[in-house]
Amino acid sequence: MIQKSSKFILISASVIVSTLLFVIPLVAASIYSFKGNQGKGYSFANYLWLMHQDGFFQSLVTTLKLAILAGALNLILMVPTMVFLNLKGAKFKPLVDFLCILPLIIPVVSLAIGAQVSMPSILQNTEYELVFFYVVISLPFTFRALDNALQAVSLNTLVEASRNLGATWFRTIVKVIVPSIKSGIFSAMFLTFALSIGEYTITSLLHWDTFSTWTVVAGQQNILGAIAISIFSFVGAIALLTIIALFSNKSKKLIEVKE
Amino acid sequence: MTKESLRESSTLELVKVSRNFGSVKALDRLNLNVKPGELVALLGPSGCGKTTALRIVAGLESATSGDLFVNQVRYNETPANMRDMGMVFQSYSLFPNLTVTENIEYGLRARKVDPSLRAKQVTKMLELVALGNKAKSFPHQLSGGQQQRVALARALAIEPRVLLLDEPLSALDAQVRKQIREEIRSIQLNLGITTLFVTHDQEEAMAIADRVGVMNHGRLEQIDKPTSLYNDPRTPFVASFVGQANKIPATMRNKGKVQVLNQKINVSEKDSHFPEGKNLNVIVRPESIELASENDPESTNGLVAIKSFLGPLTKLGIAVEGTPLIHLSISSKEVRKFNIGDKISFKISSEEVMVENV
Ligand SMILES: Nc1ncnc2c1ncn2[C@@H]1O[C@H](COP(=O)(O)OP(=O)(O)OP(=O)(O)O)[C@@H](O)[C@H]1O
Ligand SMILES: [Mg+2]
Repeated sequence: MIQKSSKFILISASVIVSTLLFVIPLVAASIYSFKGNQGKGYSFANYLWLMHQDGFFQSLVTTLKLAILAGALNLILMVPTMVFLNLKGAKFKPLVDFLCILPLIIPVVSLAIGAQVSMPSILQNTEYELVFFYVVISLPFTFRALDNALQAVSLNTLVEASRNLGATWFRTIVKVIVPSIKSGIFSAMFLTFALSIGEYTITSLLHWDTFSTWTVVAGQQNILGAIAISIFSFVGAIALLTIIALFSNKSKKLIEVKE
Repeated sequence: MTKESLRESSTLELVKVSRNFGSVKALDRLNLNVKPGELVALLGPSGCGKTTALRIVAGLESATSGDLFVNQVRYNETPANMRDMGMVFQSYSLFPNLTVTENIEYGLRARKVDPSLRAKQVTKMLELVALGNKAKSFPHQLSGGQQQRVALARALAIEPRVLLLDEPLSALDAQVRKQIREEIRSIQLNLGITTLFVTHDQEEAMAIADRVGVMNHGRLEQIDKPTSLYNDPRTPFVASFVGQANKIPATMRNKGKVQVLNQKINVSEKDSHFPEGKNLNVIVRPESIELASENDPESTNGLVAIKSFLGPLTKLGIAVEGTPLIHLSISSKEVRKFNIGDKISFKISSEEVMVENV
């Protein structure tokens, strides 16, 4: 009995706390974002204002473009690496694990400046250099996401079965390995994507304009507009997250192996 | 029985194949010769190198030294995906993202087999393993036994030169196991496919194989027909690994005889070199011990310690001073009157016994 009632208290407490901390501000902000001029009436005025600001679409497109490139580059780099580490290179795994954690340890400022200096000059002058930074800062997360997915399937046996049946390495990777770790690939992609979209420090240090730096600048001019920006980003992020989660869930269902 | 496979049956030959893992000799100059269409079971305790041998044949592991031949062609350097060998693994190995049909046709797609031929072959394989109604299921929707049957169909679909089975039944329960091993044997005979079957279950090996190879420490101790292996084991290891065997302390006497309990019995020809007075163990099968009259000077007395009824036969464990429990199996009728704790007299009925160093 005691346990039951304490569980009830715990649950209601967390509901109350999350309502206070999370839901109320969000609801309040949403209401505010629809307030009209000088706080009178309700309209889409703030959202329209937001869309008519200089650089809104441009920065949004840049961010999405860079995020997609970062997601793709990360997968191209990390999927084969993680597969290799789990199949044959077990002894290199701790080393690679350590290297992938470094971005969390090294201060962002030194990471940005240091890496920028060593970047080939063709890249230094384009916004695409950010793609490489985004990949680097998402390494700690993609390493884990892919590693978990790979550990969950008996990779060695599947690969051996595929080879035994006459498949080349290419076919094995495309038809067996990638589909079996789809969920891990989706979450790695999602994490890279999310981190890239939200990245501010490096982008701003290197003086590039993306959606995250744009929001800071734009928001300084109009308080209601700034609120509309945050609601817009929040809803957009949730929408992206849902889409990716739906995809990865669908693939997970196929992968579930009966024990 | 008619052969249905298009491919001629192959021979398989391992010549002095060794495989070291660091200081561990997983295989130690293994020689093995499998005839076309033959099913050879490799039997041995855990860690004796059975899986390693199979993996070397499949090309999933490379030999440290020695040669592998299929139809007299050296296969050492042939990559695994070019060997045309169907393997069924010990653990479930179906591709989880593919349906039963897609799993079975995987090897055919890799070989770019014509779609209509492919479909025909899949249908044939599904029929062979009696899973026609599961064609569209995913592996996780199948039972363990069904999964292994699909794995077998997948391996057979490519009409392999050699079929390799690595304890395919060990994850299944006893009933299913028996049924599927019979299915495997009948399919194998039907297709006339050269097969290597690895197991550590001696009953399974005896039931399914043309010949059984008993492995120990990376070598083949003896390879023979199941009956010969049981009735005429060449080494004490084989005798105790295949079937049950009592090890009874004994002493060597002159003229190739051994003193065991109250009896003097001939030792086999190859063991007659042991010097007189040497302490040995005599190896005797449970069915080579019979009940005897107490007055027989050759008989030994003991107390019934274990009695387990196995239908027509009953197993007795008899406690005798100075020896481990002696096991015998005798017709249930004959031992009805004995209960646990009763005094009982017995003797060894074989004319000749095998001995081993203590
Ligand atoms: N990849 C490996 N690395 C190191 N040692 C290995 C490796 N594979 C096998 N061994 C060793 O080689 C020996 C033979 O192993 P193997 O798997 O062939 O045995 P097995 O007869 O199949 O045993 P089980 O019945 O338990 O499956 C064992 O001592 C094992 O520890
Ligand atoms: Mg094994």
